[in-house]
Amino acid sequence: MKLDGTNALPAPIDAVWKTINDPEALRRCTPGLKELTATGPDRYQATLSVGIAAVKGTYAGTLTISDKQPPKHYKIVLEGSGGAGFMKGEGIVDLEAQGDETLLRWSGDIQIGGLIAGVGQRMLSGVGKMLIGQFFKCLEQQFGAAAAPGGTGERGK
Amino acid sequence: MKPAAFEYHAPRTVEEAVAVLAARGDDAKVLAGGQSLVPLMNMRLARPRAIVDLNRVRGLDRLGETRGVLTIGAMVRQRAAERSALIAARCPLLRDALGWVGHPQIRNRGTLGGSIAHADPAAEIPAVLVALGGEVTVRGPKGARTIRAADLFVTYLTTAIDAREVLTEIRIPAMPRGAGWSWMEIARRHGDFALAGVGVTLALRRGAIADARIGLTGVGPAPVRAAAAERLLTGAAPSEDLWQRAADAVRGAIEPDGDLHASADYRRHVAGVLTIRALREALVRAAAPGTAGRRRRTVT
Repeated sequence: MKLDGTNALPAPIDAVWKTINDPEALRRCTPGLKELTATGPDRYQATLSVGIAAVKGTYAGTLTISDKQPPKHYKIVLEGSGGAGFMKGEGIVDLEAQGDETLLRWSGDIQIGGLIAGVGQRMLSGVGKMLIGQFFKCLEQQFGAAAAPGGTGERGK
Repeated sequence: MKPAAFEYHAPRTVEEAVAVLAARGDDAKVLAGGQSLVPLMNMRLARPRAIVDLNRVRGLDRLGETRGVLTIGAMVRQRAAERSALIAARCPLLRDALGWVGHPQIRNRGTLGGSIAHADPAAEIPAVLVALGGEVTVRGPKGARTIRAADLFVTYLTTAIDAREVLTEIRIPAMPRGAGWSWMEIARRHGDFALAGVGVTLALRRGAIADARIGLTGVGPAPVRAAAAERLLTGAAPSEDLWQRAADAVRGAIEPDGDLHASADYRRHVAGVLTIRALREALVRAAAPGTAGRRRRTVT
């Protein structure tokens, strides 16, 4: 499942770069993230409880940041597994300064398998997009803006 | 497959049910017909700590009409509503849509309230509720409140009903007298979840459309009322060209998801095609005798 989108964040590029590298901000904004413990530079142990309504799964896994080119590019990889299935997500994030604002472009590929993928296939891409949307909305709020223009323009496949 | 262990509550009154929900909140799930919740629990995708079973609560299975509005208790079985003379006479769109809910065995147990509270994005009943501008009553620790259909469905499997509240009644305005109707749906097999579905009602006056309603399911996170298409139809004279423009308005109003079964583009296309077919069928029924308004007088 490939997803991508663009968000305009109302903050200078250096501030955005700092926030998307801040474990505390990541923890606060990732939907369902219960724990995020650093196990090395740019490597974290993560526990996520994600899902919708009564259908929730707990996943334990790792979150890694690589290919860093400050302040404009990195790759983020999230891998996890739990009772309801497993998931692997890779995201590429690119920042571009636009005056006092920053354009954040992201693209990702998420693979979800196991029981949850079999039963929940109908809603996976929609729920995935919704959760990613929540993540970026939260980031926007970190910069003190109600709603930045542009929003999340996802094009799900 | 067996569910994870849970606490089982079988209240006899709505008050008792609300008291359990107030105490257990997010840990509890309300059990109505169990046609979605129980499979999810058996597969252990849902693991509620407590179940509040409404099947022994008295008074939630009443079906009636008050001043042109159908009042449907939350625990009215889908099959009972489908076979009800009152619903056939006053809201045949609901009756026809119910024929697409799962299979008869599922409808024998499944309830209208359960389907609405579960809010599956491809379910039929929520789309009818939205199209006809219905509302629901929920009761919680702070008392009863009414939620309009337009405010009820938030996203996938999510409604504006709080975990401490229980849905008790559904109210759907009866269709205008003499109005035509149509429910059209495409599913991979009959009984499967809709790839796209549309419900339409059309009321005519002196050759023009006096009132049009269009509700869709399966084309996004929540049921959609195609307000722009309804505005376009209202006041206009029926024609194939008008149906085509209404279908374009419907396609513009939806944001379907793609999945293994159907791409987003396919769903958008089908939603338009179904809208045209439904408008054609509704027009024939609006013009023909024996429609909702006429039969009403002979049915109690």
